[in-house]
Amino acid sequence: MSRKRLYITVFLACLAGYIWLGVSYYFTWAGDGQWAGACPFRHLTGMPCPSCGSTGSVLSLIGGDVGAALYSNPAGLLLAAIMLIIPLWIAGDLLSSKSTFHRFYIDAEKRLAARRLAIPAILLVVANWIWNFYKYL
Amino acid sequence: MEENKVDMFIMVNGKNFESHMVPQIREKLLKADESKWSLIQSLDFKNPTMLLIISILIGYLGVDRFVIGDVGLGIGKLLTCGGLGIWTIIDWFLIMGATKEKNLQKLQQYT
Repeated sequence: MSRKRLYITVFLACLAGYIWLGVSYYFTWAGDGQWAGACPFRHLTGMPCPSCGSTGSVLSLIGGDVGAALYSNPAGLLLAAIMLIIPLWIAGDLLSSKSTFHRFYIDAEKRLAARRLAIPAILLVVANWIWNFYKYL
Repeated sequence: MEENKVDMFIMVNGKNFESHMVPQIREKLLKADESKWSLIQSLDFKNPTMLLIISILIGYLGVDRFVIGDVGLGIGKLLTCGGLGIWTIIDWFLIMGATKEKNLQKLQQYT
């Protein structure tokens, strides 16, 4: 992926993430504080997906409750870190005309595709998914 | 490379590339060195139709993107419930083109 395309994609994804956080915060706040989320997979099949609870996790994190954030879905912490760090990283790159994030992204893709890292990562996602079944089914 | 070898390659793998790119690929392969033939023949190209099936069945988890090597986008799709299902549906239409593009990039690395 070219530098320009990557930066635009990631910027738009982060922007969509922040808009989504605002929308879900409003729904939680306007409702009774209990919101089932908008996961289409869960609404269609009744089963949670590996990422169910991520929005709740990020919202808990904003509220300062790290324990609740971890319980909702540990992937939420990763999402929160991505949404905080990457826009700043991209802005830094654009201001200084560098490509540090682009290089990091290409390198990380290569490393993650290697079996040594991919298999533990898949197992972790599956384990998290099974935990989601206990929590949200 | 010999013309019959190149034509055989195009016949077997033509469907894995954009149709408008096939004449250019043929030209490039004809100019390529004979010693690259065994390497090019052993390249594993992804089948766009298979990717479409993967995308429809488990694209929700980003598996289609992982398979073609877009690990970053795959993680993005996995972490966001397939972009709330919207990205999943968009990818049903994009994945075949993306697969063909990746196949071309792979071939270009070796020619």
